[in-house]
Amino acid sequence: MALLMLENVSVAYDNQYILQNFHLHIERGQLISLLGPSGCGKTTTLRLIAGFLEAKDGRFLFEGKDYTRVPVNKRNFGFVFQSYALFPHLSVYDNVAFGLRLRKASESEVKKRVTAILDVVSLGGFEKRFSKELSGGQRQRVAIARALVIEPDLLLFDEPLSNLDANLRINMRVEIRRIQQELGITTVYVSHDQEECFSISDQVAIMNKGVIEQLDAPATIFKYPKTEFIARFIGFTNFIAFGERTEQNGQIILRTGNHTFVAANHPGTANPSGKKCALRPDDLLVTTEDAQDVNRLQGIVKVSTFLGRSYQYVVETELGDFTVNQEMETPYRSGQKVNLLFPKDKMVLVD
Amino acid sequence: MQEKNRGLALFTLLVFLFLLGPLLIISFTSFEPGTVLKFPPEGFSWRWYENILEVEMFMTTFKTSMFVSLAGNLLALALGIPAAYALSRFQFKGKAALNAIFISPVLIPGIVMGFAMLKYVIIVYDLPIYAGLLAGHTVLMLPFIIRVVASSLANFDFAVEEAALSLGAGRLETFFKVVLPNIRSGIIAAILIAFLESFNNVDISVFMTGPGVSTLPIQMLTYVENNFDPTIAAISVLLMIVTAILMFIIERLIGLSYFTKR
Amino acid sequence: MKNKGLYLLLLPGVLFLTLFMIIPIVLTIASTFFHEGSFTFAGYRQFLTDPYFIKILLTTLQVSLVTTIACILLGFPAAYYISKLGPRKKVILLALAIFPLLMSSVVRSFSWMIILGKKGLLNSSLISMGLIEKPLEILYTPTAMMIGLIHLFLPLIIITLVGVMENIDPDLIKAAESLGASRFTAFRKVIVPLSVPGLIVGSILVFVGSLTAYTTPALLGGKQRVISTFLYQNAITLNDWHRASVIATIMIVITLAVIFLMNKLATKLNPKG
Repeated sequence: MALLMLENVSVAYDNQYILQNFHLHIERGQLISLLGPSGCGKTTTLRLIAGFLEAKDGRFLFEGKDYTRVPVNKRNFGFVFQSYALFPHLSVYDNVAFGLRLRKASESEVKKRVTAILDVVSLGGFEKRFSKELSGGQRQRVAIARALVIEPDLLLFDEPLSNLDANLRINMRVEIRRIQQELGITTVYVSHDQEECFSISDQVAIMNKGVIEQLDAPATIFKYPKTEFIARFIGFTNFIAFGERTEQNGQIILRTGNHTFVAANHPGTANPSGKKCALRPDDLLVTTEDAQDVNRLQGIVKVSTFLGRSYQYVVETELGDFTVNQEMETPYRSGQKVNLLFPKDKMVLVD
Repeated sequence: MQEKNRGLALFTLLVFLFLLGPLLIISFTSFEPGTVLKFPPEGFSWRWYENILEVEMFMTTFKTSMFVSLAGNLLALALGIPAAYALSRFQFKGKAALNAIFISPVLIPGIVMGFAMLKYVIIVYDLPIYAGLLAGHTVLMLPFIIRVVASSLANFDFAVEEAALSLGAGRLETFFKVVLPNIRSGIIAAILIAFLESFNNVDISVFMTGPGVSTLPIQMLTYVENNFDPTIAAISVLLMIVTAILMFIIERLIGLSYFTKR
Repeated sequence: MKNKGLYLLLLPGVLFLTLFMIIPIVLTIASTFFHEGSFTFAGYRQFLTDPYFIKILLTTLQVSLVTTIACILLGFPAAYYISKLGPRKKVILLALAIFPLLMSSVVRSFSWMIILGKKGLLNSSLISMGLIEKPLEILYTPTAMMIGLIHLFLPLIIITLVGVMENIDPDLIKAAESLGASRFTAFRKVIVPLSVPGLIVGSILVFVGSLTAYTTPALLGGKQRVISTFLYQNAITLNDWHRASVIATIMIVITLAVIFLMNKLATKLNPKG
């Protein structure tokens, strides 16, 4: 049975629904991310789970028990805030000890556990420091330690890394994943950063306007996004909307205007209502040779930019502009006539 | 948890009743037709409002108060705006000391300041009482002006000045055309706040009275010590109305956050 | 050019303050050390050994202390309640709190004369309710002064504290709750410690203000003197300017001492380490 279930949940603010008939279930020991643009409802969902918000309708079940009306301070979930929310008037030690002391742990017990957790987050020796003496990354680790030391049933992260600089973000997310796996603690992680979520999660729920558009392992979403929204979100920039879709000889035939494309049968094309083809710039092929392949479009190079590894071209065609990345010694020039090839096994069909 | 909120709400209600109740009581008392102050009033009469106009001293002192508070305000603006500008814009040696000097009037008890000024400005410098009153109120208002204007300038991007200079404007011209218009609401609010402080002031004014010269609050004070009729209540109501209007304007200009931050 | 312009901007203000404030104050203080031409501490000796004056001083301190404590006890919960309100209600309540502050102290003290007098509102209500037989003599006593002063300074404490509490990161309460704290515990362990510096600032204002207030003790204190009314009496009624100057100097010293001590206290109590 799932550890956590949100059933038919609705949350409204000022008469506007943020979540409506929302469903989510999470298995024990997983790290699941809620990913999406701002306003999609991911933070609302997290705060609902934490108990900072009350649902208008629906139920929140945890370990089979109805937690819907349980107040936040009785839930025993660890919450890590975007702004860390460290108590400025308490030392690192007292910050981390806060939850333990509320649970009436003896001072010797407190000392043992606080020291141990500070080691886990690599902050041993920082006990006497205060928040204002710490760097962003250190504060974040104190926040994590504070949430972990109470041995929570669930760990909740609210965009914990957005206030850190790029390098630190990468290091910290690896740390978070390491700790999570070491302790085996079920974790819900909210972020708008796709790379961050994909790199550390067991499952990712991509949310848009209060709805989960896809819940899958990162690799699955990465290769086989289900909707155009998700495809765009994760880096598919090339789209062709087809009017007709038929199956023939184990392949999928797509038609629009006087163009006919063929797509291979794979999980990314399985959705029968998927009529829009999506392709990554890296998967599209561009060549000046006259190719006889199916899935070919003629076009003219509009803009060419240098990406380091490859060149990126914006190519204008009858079916619109396409972006293609390719490694080559001598780049194509503006106005050059080229052919775009759409490999049939790389095409993904989305709603 | 909800209970705690209700208890707290009740407590706050009582606190506000304590704060505002007396002012309401004065308002009702002002309509008492009889000559003795009592609450609740036994009837309704405009009599004491009319009395204000009849007691000559009230009108005279009102005019004095208005003049002193307005003229002193202008003087404080003339002294304070440049000072606030200098303190906000530039870094220089002794800035902390100067800041302290300009804030210092606030640290000296008003009554002490009034006495010291009486002793020296009036007696030793041998200035007429009116001048002493004016000087005293200017000193009173100066820190308010400086503080409000400096606070407005704190959020001002001085790069705008440099843009104006690069386009050919002179320094003074830049100040009047570029800086001042952008802190206009701050200045108006400063004027109103300082005006209220000055108009209502007792501690300094109480020493600067002489034959025919007195401010309205002092006159009210003297009157109360000798008469106990509702005229003062009537004046109070009028003052309350004016204060409420000014407060509304201040809120529109710079919001009430001026009063909450320290 | 820069330096000249700078000093030109500051000079008029500094000059004015020096002429009309600094010099008078400094000379007033200086004058207390001279009596009939010679340098002496006689003025102070006379005062500090005078039991009448000591009594006035103690009464003033006592009244100010009670006022300050009462303002804190009444103001802190009210400020907390206000700080948690939504923006619309908060502005209204703040405006209602600020309004009395902008009224003259004469008006505010006068209102208490109506309420506390022998035939005043309080006595009439208590008598008509049958709770007392003879009117209470509250007016013209230190109690009346305290009530008047509390009424005078309570708004100040409230708005100072609201400002302080608004600056406390709301996530801190959520963090405390997520760690298991009840609303009240979170208040006690997070909000109260973080409000202390602001509370001290507010308390300084109230204490010093009460110490040096003139109007309220003048109207509500009757024959009971405090330092400020004593100063006035000596200067104007008794025309003893030397004594008045001594009182004035003592007032300045006490004010500065209180501010200095409370700032020290604030630094020591500053919970942020």
